[in-house]
Amino acid sequence: MNFLYALTHKVREAPISAGTFNLVCITMACVVAVHASHLPIWLTLLLGFALLASHWRRRHRPGKTPMWLKLPLTLGLLAGIVVWYGNLFGREPGSAFAVGLLVLKTFECETVRDVRVAVAFACFALMAALLSDQGLVVTVAVALAIVPALMSLRSLEPGQAQRTITQAALPALGLLAAAVPLALLAFLFVPRLSEPLWGAPAADTAKPGLSSSMSPGDLTELLTDDSAAMRVSFDGVAPGPDQRYFRAFVMWNFDGRRWDHGYGRRGEVAGLLPQGPVATYEITLEATHRRTLPALDVPMAAPEGARLSADRELSSNDRIDDVRRYRLSSALGYGLQADLDENTRRLGLQLPPNFDPRARALAQQWRLTFGQNDEGIARAALGLFHDGGFRYTLAPAPLGRDSIDDFLFNTHEGFCEHYASAFTFLMRAAGIPARVVTGYQGGFYNRLGQYLLVRQSNAHAWSEVWLAGRGWVRFDPTGAVRPERIAADGTSAGDGSGPWYQPAWLQAARNRWDIVNRLWAQGVTGFDALRQRSLLQPFGVREAPPSMLVTILASGICLLAAIGLGWALYRRPEGDVAQRALARLKARLERRGLASRASEAPGHYFSRAARFWPSQRKELESLGTLYNHLTYARSEPAPELARRFARMAREFRPPRVVK
Amino acid sequence: MSAPEPIRDNTFKRRLDAGIEQVNSVLLGKPRQVKLAFTCLIARGHLLLEDVPGVGKTTLAHALAATFDLDFQRIQFTSDLLPSDIIGVSVYERDGGTFRFHPGPIFTRLLLADEINRASPKTQSALLEAMAEGQATVDGVTHALPQPFFVVATQNPLDLAGTFPLPDSQLDRFMLRVSLDYPDAAAERALLSGADRRDILAQLQPTLDGAALDMLHTQSLATTVSPALLDYLQALLAATRRHPDIRVGLSPRAGLSLLAASRAWALASGRDYVLPEDIQALFVPAASHRLIPGKGAHREAIARAILAEVAVG
Repeated sequence: MNFLYALTHKVREAPISAGTFNLVCITMACVVAVHASHLPIWLTLLLGFALLASHWRRRHRPGKTPMWLKLPLTLGLLAGIVVWYGNLFGREPGSAFAVGLLVLKTFECETVRDVRVAVAFACFALMAALLSDQGLVVTVAVALAIVPALMSLRSLEPGQAQRTITQAALPALGLLAAAVPLALLAFLFVPRLSEPLWGAPAADTAKPGLSSSMSPGDLTELLTDDSAAMRVSFDGVAPGPDQRYFRAFVMWNFDGRRWDHGYGRRGEVAGLLPQGPVATYEITLEATHRRTLPALDVPMAAPEGARLSADRELSSNDRIDDVRRYRLSSALGYGLQADLDENTRRLGLQLPPNFDPRARALAQQWRLTFGQNDEGIARAALGLFHDGGFRYTLAPAPLGRDSIDDFLFNTHEGFCEHYASAFTFLMRAAGIPARVVTGYQGGFYNRLGQYLLVRQSNAHAWSEVWLAGRGWVRFDPTGAVRPERIAADGTSAGDGSGPWYQPAWLQAARNRWDIVNRLWAQGVTGFDALRQRSLLQPFGVREAPPSMLVTILASGICLLAAIGLGWALYRRPEGDVAQRALARLKARLERRGLASRASEAPGHYFSRAARFWPSQRKELESLGTLYNHLTYARSEPAPELARRFARMAREFRPPRVVK
Repeated sequence: MSAPEPIRDNTFKRRLDAGIEQVNSVLLGKPRQVKLAFTCLIARGHLLLEDVPGVGKTTLAHALAATFDLDFQRIQFTSDLLPSDIIGVSVYERDGGTFRFHPGPIFTRLLLADEINRASPKTQSALLEAMAEGQATVDGVTHALPQPFFVVATQNPLDLAGTFPLPDSQLDRFMLRVSLDYPDAAAERALLSGADRRDILAQLQPTLDGAALDMLHTQSLATTVSPALLDYLQALLAATRRHPDIRVGLSPRAGLSLLAASRAWALASGRDYVLPEDIQALFVPAASHRLIPGKGAHREAIARAILAEVAVG
């Protein structure tokens, strides 16, 4: 045992070659690169610099890094992260700290043991990158970053100090490829948990999204965000662009500047009378960290795990922290809440007192002009927006205290929020129940992938006005100012001249890329516990229990192991009879206590064996002589001698050594 | 079972054994080094003995000279030794009115170059050129050296003061480099209690002449080298070329030299075929001085590491 300890201890403390250190540095660079998208830029740059410095140090100042250098570096990293993130716990600061420590580890990478520790930690850090993003690009990048890690480990093996990167990369890629079947098996059959295992919570503000309140300018950030909000695939023909309104929030409460959900309208779900076509579709929603599920106007019933509010807003029973898929049917033509009760009517007419006198006056004037014709008043308001010199822009002038007056009579510029807000105000001032609805509108229909891509920039706000005999009717005042915003089949909210102009080929490329992303999101990221249970449906198992999954997983692993073993045996180097017999004999004698080394000459090995078992000395010596004779004393192969050696070796029975 | 076939003509082998035994009686406790020295001469290689002063380098060289019945010259290398002191000079003769070449001590069959690294590089290279080419050139006239021509050189380790280390390329001229090391306790005790080495040397009888040496050389060339052995030898050479601590690995010439020495070693061991053991015995003395290691690496340690790493096929 002492000998064994000394041996392993020595190996672990063995110094590493320059090539291995280079590979470790490359591995660390890959880890930083994979994490770069969520690390603060200063940290990425500093870590890159530290890596270069570490490499330079090993070349020009070899030896141990002094503590006075290591300690301040580590403390500096700690301080930087605490200052930047506010604390050290949670997903983001945690992984930033891990990556930083990893890079600093290269300053003390001197022995084989150091490299093993550093590479193992690097693999963990690579996995941590998947906590913040499981997209296709990051997943592929993580897989590729494992290659230098494997190369580093392989270069530690004796005789593996390869000269070129290519020579070292091929076996590593081979190892990675060999792991793919196992990874697929694990992906399909390791039982999923409904909740993620790790509890490191992401901040709510990680991504802007629609919120349950709206004040002028709120949506600007969203309207310039080109990332996907959701993807919708319709059964049959997709509805036309003018019908692509996805409602998320209905807002009743106005305080002069800000619309919000308030307490919402309580009570029964508003009655819905479908008139005309019904669209059935499936939505794949990106994580929002909220409960609301956008639905095409107007959803007929809630899917499993979600419920309809009184105003037919759809909300999930749990937070959408991951990609979510749900199926829905919506009535494209409808009569919504034909009867308005007194409470709801009052809610729909509520206005803050002492605000916006000019707008109120204008509405009163319309009421006088149109009498009881509510729809006429609404048309007049749309006409005002269309002909009144209003301009659609994402960068409107700021508004004063009386924001509606200011917008209607002074600035004349704004985007959907401003128009929806002003329109709803005017309707209420004229005594017509009205409310603001926010959600998404439009989207790009990807013909290749047969789905509608809705981006964050498709966020929109519009109005619903209650007309007697018809119920709530959707009015989109933005359409009156900028019809193409509504009718367009386009991709961005841009006003054409802004920074959002993109050449057609770039848009086309982005849309193709989005198909790939969608497939990844649906096929890989969206493969959740629910879908896993229905995995075996084609084989008649309606819902596979975890025990069945585990059984399949175990059998699959056994099968893969058997295939791997078979392959290894099949690829075993073809030696001659005598060599194989010698190898078998060596293995047998090794079990009886006689260690052997590949670099030992056979003759030497047999004399050692003869000393080990003095009682069998004669047999062992003649085995050695015979082997040497048939292998080295002639230039031609000697099959009959080889067979004789093989027989003798097979028949040799070493006595048990009593210790 | 059939025993390995014995060497057909035993006469020379017996004389070789007798010679080895005789040298062993002078240089106590160093049978491996003595066998290496004989191996080197059988394989027609030059021998470099390297160690600290006083461990018997010169004694070994003298014993070899006395055992081989060959013309023998000894040159004590010093820092003021000139190339002409070893090769010879052309002297003008008044009688004939011509220059006549007076050969130097190098014109012999067995040359003992004592403390070769004390001479200036210029003198060293004069000797080493003669070793490589088997000839010496003076005043534009090339004089062939007698064949066979052996050099047994001794040198002190390079870290001693007052030496000019041999350049890497010139170390390649030596087939084997052998360190003597201190004798073990028993051998040293016998040495202290025995007679004066110089007296013993004077009593030695030559056992091998030039013809016998030629015959042994021919026999060594006839030893069997199997494909499996060549595979192993080639694997060793290849390993020196991709080892991270070696700047320049072994050349094919070094490989040939190692094989020739291994053949002679097999013969000296009484076999007419070469075993992996032979190559392993010769690898460090034949290869370590030809490896050009990277910074801070030790040649012999690397050579041993390679031996421990490469599998015997």
